[in-house]
Amino acid sequence: MKNRKLYNRITVLREENNFSRKELAKEIGVNFQTVGYLEREEYNPSLDLAFRISEVFKLPIEMIFSTEPMKPLSQELLEYRKKMGE
Amino acid sequence: MSRTIRRLHVVLNYFCIIAIIVFFAIGKLYGWSNQIFIVMGLIVVVGLFSFITLYIKTKIWKLVHTKIDKLDEREIQLTHESLRLSYSIFTVVSLLVLLVFAVTVKEYDSLLMIIFVSLLYLAHTLPAAIIAWKQKEF
Repeated sequence: MKNRKLYNRITVLREENNFSRKELAKEIGVNFQTVGYLEREEYNPSLDLAFRISEVFKLPIEMIFSTEPMKPLSQELLEYRKKMGE
Repeated sequence: MSRTIRRLHVVLNYFCIIAIIVFFAIGKLYGWSNQIFIVMGLIVVVGLFSFITLYIKTKIWKLVHTKIDKLDEREIQLTHESLRLSYSIFTVVSLLVLLVFAVTVKEYDSLLMIIFVSLLYLAHTLPAAIIAWKQKEF
């Protein structure tokens, strides 16, 4: 079975949090090259790794990963808040 | 190191092995001379250079020979895929080489040993060669 492409915001979130690739790699327990592959969307992480990434950035998984190309984070956050009734 | 350079080194490395077999066969057939020894020595040096540049400096060798619990999930996936492909390629290459050898060579002598050693080298380096050949980054 061919995997679907997963889009993500790892690059933006990593830069916002002032992490280097090596630092993020250490936080989530992978090789720094794997962070590069994740950022270029050339590798789909396992559910465990996706949870570890979401824990590091303190965001829900669906804010970081999507099966569709991702909108800007601010727009996504507004829509999320509307959905949650805030 | 770019993928193109890695691919060139993969080709060069296996070309050296084939060249060693060819010169060994020439030496056996037509007699050993100093020129053959010098050429074989040069081929070994080039082969070693390509091996070190391709596998050691890029750390692909370390990746393929590291215990699985020390690798992350992408690296495990990568090594499994390369081992799966290696098994298929090695089987086909071995069968072809042995078939050609059985048909063409009348006397089984030390050339057979060189071919077996080359096949063992192929089996041992193939997973790393596949990673070097396929991966974008290393």
